[in-house]
Amino acid sequence: MLNISNIVLEIFNILMKRIVLMGVIILMVVATVYLWLSNSGFSEGEGPYLGIIALILVFAVFLLIRRIKSWKVGEPQEDELSKKVMVRTAALSYYVSLYLWVFLLYMQDRVTFDKDRLIGIGILGMAIIFALSWVFHHFRGVPND
Amino acid sequence: MTNRIKEFRVKLGLTQEELAKKVNVRRETIVFLEKNKYNPSLRLAFDLAQILNVSVEDLFSFEDEK
Repeated sequence: MLNISNIVLEIFNILMKRIVLMGVIILMVVATVYLWLSNSGFSEGEGPYLGIIALILVFAVFLLIRRIKSWKVGEPQEDELSKKVMVRTAALSYYVSLYLWVFLLYMQDRVTFDKDRLIGIGILGMAIIFALSWVFHHFRGVPND
Repeated sequence: MTNRIKEFRVKLGLTQEELAKKVNVRRETIVFLEKNKYNPSLRLAFDLAQILNVSVEDLFSFEDEK
């Protein structure tokens, strides 16, 4: 009896681990933004950055809710299709991100860019490219290969 | 590659969700399979054929795209 309850607890732990991990990441991003704003205050120039961070957070919360729903229904949080979608998303977003960095470096010579700002734009841009790439592959599927 | 998953699933009176649970995938994977937007792995193809009581050849058909 004790063994069975241990196995059940073990399965519960594995399923919950991914959900909790995602929740922790979202909380860390929110905490970082809060610290950033409370230390330096909000200036109008930072509005677009906050908007992009908010969009990324919405995307992360959407993925979290999706995982929780799957867990509640009793279906796997990941299967062969979702793994393939993730692999293709990673490949495409990496490829496009290279062009983003080349573009940013090109712009750096022509527009006065603060180094911190350049890195910030690059990282946020990569996150957006990843989210868009996931949406593209998720709705397109993985046809004939 | 095309398949007849929906046809055999409906014949057995299974919902997409029930079939997904039987072959241990997400429901959306069944949706994509039925729309021919995804080609399953060999393992999943055999699992589907077994659950739907048909052969893999009956379930999937391949047309040369040349």
